[in-house]
Amino acid sequence: MDIRAHLSMVFHLDKCIGCHTCSVACKNIWTDRPGAEYMWWNNVETKPGTGYPTLWEDQLNYKGGWMLGADRKLRLRSQDKKDFLPKLFYNPNQPGLDDYYEPWTYKYQDLFDAAAGDDQPTAIPVSKITGEPMEIRSGPNWDDDLSGSPIYGENDPNLKALTPEERQMMFEIERISMMYLPRICNHCANPSCVASCPSGALYKRGEDGIVLVNQDKCRGWRACVTACPYKKIYYNWKTGKSEKCILCYPRVETGQAPACFHTCVGRIRYMGVLLYDAERIEEAMKAPEEGLVEAQRSVLLDPHDPRIVARALDAGIPPGWIGSAQRSPVWKYVSEWKLALPLHPEFRTMPMLYYVPPLLPVMGRQESEVYGHDTGELFASIDKARLPIRYLASLFSAGDPGPVRDALRRLLAVRIFQRSSTLGDIAPEQASKVLREAGLTEDQARQIYTLTALPGPEDRFMMPPVQREESIENTCAPDQCKGGCGLGPTQVPERGL
Amino acid sequence: MFDLLIFVALPYVALLSLVVGSWVRYRTHAFSYSSLSTQFLEDRWLLWASAPWHAGIIVVLLGHLAAFAVPGWWTAFMATPAFLTVVESVGLLCGWMCLGGLVIFLVRRFVNARLQAVTTLADVLVVLVLMAQVGTGLAVAVNHRWGAAWAPGALGPYLHGVLTLRPDVSVLTDMPPFVKLHIASAWVLLAMFPFTRLVHVLSLPLRYITRAPQRVVWTSSRASVRFEERAATDNERRLFLRAALSAGAGVALLSMGTLDKFFKYFLKQDLTEDEQAHLLSAKLRRLKQTAEERELELERMSRDAILVAPMAELSTTRGKYFIDYQMRPALAFKDAEGLPIVISAKCTHLGCTVGQDVDAQGRILCPCHVSYFDIKTGQPNLGAPAKEALPRLGWALKDGNGKVLLVQDPSGGREGSAEPGQLATSLLYILKRYA
Repeated sequence: MDIRAHLSMVFHLDKCIGCHTCSVACKNIWTDRPGAEYMWWNNVETKPGTGYPTLWEDQLNYKGGWMLGADRKLRLRSQDKKDFLPKLFYNPNQPGLDDYYEPWTYKYQDLFDAAAGDDQPTAIPVSKITGEPMEIRSGPNWDDDLSGSPIYGENDPNLKALTPEERQMMFEIERISMMYLPRICNHCANPSCVASCPSGALYKRGEDGIVLVNQDKCRGWRACVTACPYKKIYYNWKTGKSEKCILCYPRVETGQAPACFHTCVGRIRYMGVLLYDAERIEEAMKAPEEGLVEAQRSVLLDPHDPRIVARALDAGIPPGWIGSAQRSPVWKYVSEWKLALPLHPEFRTMPMLYYVPPLLPVMGRQESEVYGHDTGELFASIDKARLPIRYLASLFSAGDPGPVRDALRRLLAVRIFQRSSTLGDIAPEQASKVLREAGLTEDQARQIYTLTALPGPEDRFMMPPVQREESIENTCAPDQCKGGCGLGPTQVPERGL
Repeated sequence: MFDLLIFVALPYVALLSLVVGSWVRYRTHAFSYSSLSTQFLEDRWLLWASAPWHAGIIVVLLGHLAAFAVPGWWTAFMATPAFLTVVESVGLLCGWMCLGGLVIFLVRRFVNARLQAVTTLADVLVVLVLMAQVGTGLAVAVNHRWGAAWAPGALGPYLHGVLTLRPDVSVLTDMPPFVKLHIASAWVLLAMFPFTRLVHVLSLPLRYITRAPQRVVWTSSRASVRFEERAATDNERRLFLRAALSAGAGVALLSMGTLDKFFKYFLKQDLTEDEQAHLLSAKLRRLKQTAEERELELERMSRDAILVAPMAELSTTRGKYFIDYQMRPALAFKDAEGLPIVISAKCTHLGCTVGQDVDAQGRILCPCHVSYFDIKTGQPNLGAPAKEALPRLGWALKDGNGKVLLVQDPSGGREGSAEPGQLATSLLYILKRYA
C-alpha cells in the first residue's frame, strides 16, 4: 500500500447558476497575458453543448486519455512511446486556435478620437493576435445558455448515448432543459498529460497531487495538449510552452482556497483532502466501463479507519493533513454519501474533481403534484426526467446509469426528508422509508442538507494546515507575475537572437 | 589566407559558440528552450513544411554522420554500384524534400497574418541559412555526382583534422566552389545555433523512451526519505542505462574515423590462418610500397634530374606512369615525331589519377567524373567537370653518356637538338629546376 494525500474537489451542479464569476476570477489572476488570452483554465459550459474547445469530449477526433488494450494494458490513445517521435514534428490531433476561438478586443480609443460627424463612432473588434480588425465568429461561451442550439446542442457527443426520441424530447420547445458544467483541471491521479510529456516537464506533486508544468523544462512539444482528454492544457502561442490550471497553489500553500472556489457565487465548490492508495490506481483504471466509478471509489481510503491513519502517519503524511482528510467534504460527498461522480471516467485518468449530478432539471418533468407520496412513483420520476438519465450517465459514469440513479435517488430522498420535517406534508414514516430505500440514515440526510444548503467557507474549504517550513514552490505573488509568464519565472521569453 | 579564415578559424569559432553558447543559454535561459511550434496558429501548411523537412534532414544528417564516422565501412559499401545508386538517390530525394519544406516554411511565414505576430528576424534568418546549406548540398550532389563515394575520402581528413586539432586546409584547396560553400555555410549554421530556435534539436526527448509513465515530484524531506529506498533501485537502473547511452554516444563522436578500426580489430579474432597470411602479405606489400615511396622522395630531394624511362620504352597510345618532384602522378608519352610528351596525371577536378590510354582523338580520361584531357595541350573537353588544363612538365633528353641533348621547359621552349637516330636511344629525365 502506498498512501498519498490529494487535494480534491467537489462541484455541486444543482447549485451552479452559470454566472462565470469563477472564470473571470481565474482569468484576471492567471491568463490575462499575451499568448494566454484565449485560455480559460476555468470555464463554464452549458450542457447539452459542444463545449470549449469545440467537441473536446470527442476522443475519436482529439485522441486524448487512456484506452484499455486487448492485452489489458493501459495505453495512451495517442502520443504513446511508439508514435511520439514522428508526432513531435506534426501532430494531426492537436487542437488549433480556431478550435478554441481567436481572442479579440475593441478599439475603444476610436470612441474618443473619431472625427466629428453625423454618425456615432463605434469600437471595432481587433484580433489580440494580429492586431488587425476581425470578424468575430466564435468565442469561449458561444453556446452559453443554449444559444445557438440546435447547432451546438445537437452536436454534443454525449447525445450519442440517447435514443432518437429522447434526443428529440431534450430539444422540444418549452421542455428544453440544460445544465451548467464548470470545468477546471481535474488534477487526475492517473494523468495522461504527465504520461505523455516527452520532456518530463509535467509532474504531479507528491504532497498534494497538484499537476503542474515546469516552464523551464517544457520544450513545447505539445503532446500534453492532445493527451489531456479534458483539453485543460493550453499552448501559449507566444512563449511556446504549455500552461494549465495550477489550482492556485500559491493561494493553497498560504491556506486560502483557489480563486475560482473563493469567488463562487453559488457556493458550489468544495475542497478537501482525500487519502488514496497509489499502488491500486493502475488496476482500478483497468476496470470495465460499467464498473469504473466503483473502481475509482475503491482506490480512496477511509480516513476514519485507525489502521489507515497509522499507515498514513508511517508514510509521512502530516497529522494535520490526516485531520483535514477526516473532516473533508469531498470524502463525504464521494465515498460516504456516494453523491459525487467523476467527469467522464471512461477516459481512465482518474479525475480528482467530482461532480454532484444536477437534480433540478430532472425534477422539472414532474407535472401534477410537486412530490407524490408513493416512493415508487417518486423514484420513477428520475427515469422519466427531462434531462435523460442516460445523458447524465454518459457524462458522469461512462454510460452506466447505476451510479447516477443512485446519486439522484439519494438527493431526492434528502429533499423528501427535509420537506417532511419542515413542511410536514409528508408523513415521517414515509420519509424514513424513502431514506432507507435510498440507503441513507436520517443523520446522514441532515448532514447532506447542511453541507449542501448552509455551508460557510470553513465547511466548504477544508484546507490542510499551512506548513511554511515545507512550502513547496517559492513564487512571486500573482500580481507581480503579471506580464511575465505568470507561473514563477518573470522573464519574458525571446524567440531567438 | 581566406581559406584559413573560413576553414580553420571559423570552424573553431563555430564549435566554441555551439558548445559554450548552448550550455550558457541552457543554464541561464532554460525557459527560452522550446521548439516554438506554430502548429497552434496555422496547421494546414505546416504539415507540408515540417514533415518533409524533418524526415529529409534526419536521413541526410545520419548519412553524413555515418560517412564521416565510419569511412572505411561506408566506402566499402559504396564500392557496390547498386548501393551507391540507392544511397545517392535517397540522399538526393531527401535533399529536395528538405528544400521544398524550407520554401513552404518561409512562404507561410509571410502569407499568414497570425504567423507574422510570432515571426522574428531570427526565424527568417535560420530558414535562409538552412536553405543555403541544403541548396549548396544539392548543387554538390548534382554537379559532382557520387559524393557518397568520394566525399568520405576527400573531405573526411579535413573534418577529422578539425576535430583532432590538426586542421589541414590543403585537402580543400582544390575542391570545387560548391563543396567549399557547403562546408562554410555548415560552420555558419553551427555558429548561430545557440542563438536561434535551432536549440530545440538539443531537446530531442529520447529520455521519454526509458521513462516511467507517471512523474511524481516530492519536495518535503519526510516524503523523500520514504521514497528514496524504492526509487533508488528504479533510478539506479535508469541512471545506469542513461550513463551507458551517453558514454556510448560520446565515444562514438570522439572516435570519428577510428571507429571502424575497432570493428576490424575485434573481427580479426575470427580469421583463419590463410586469411591471416593474406592480411600479413597485404601489410607487407603496403610496407614495401611505403618504403618505395620514401626512396622516391629521397631521390627527389637529392637529385637534380630523375630518369623517367628510355625513349624506346615510350609509346604513342599508352602513357607511362611515373612520380614527379611533388610526389604526384605524371604520364610520359611519345609523339608522332618521336619526341616525348610529359604531363601531370593528377586530375584538376578532384585530384584523381588520370588514365594512361590515349583514345582516337589523342585524349586521356579521368575515370572519376569523366573528364577527357588532350595530351598535347592538357586541355579538358568542353563540359567536363574539370575546368583547368593538366599542367605540362619540363624534361631533358640525355644520351647514353649522360650528355644533355635536348631540354624543354614547362611552357614548351626548347634548347639544344637531337638527331632522329639519337632520339631512339636517348633517355628521358625530369628536372628539379622545373619542379
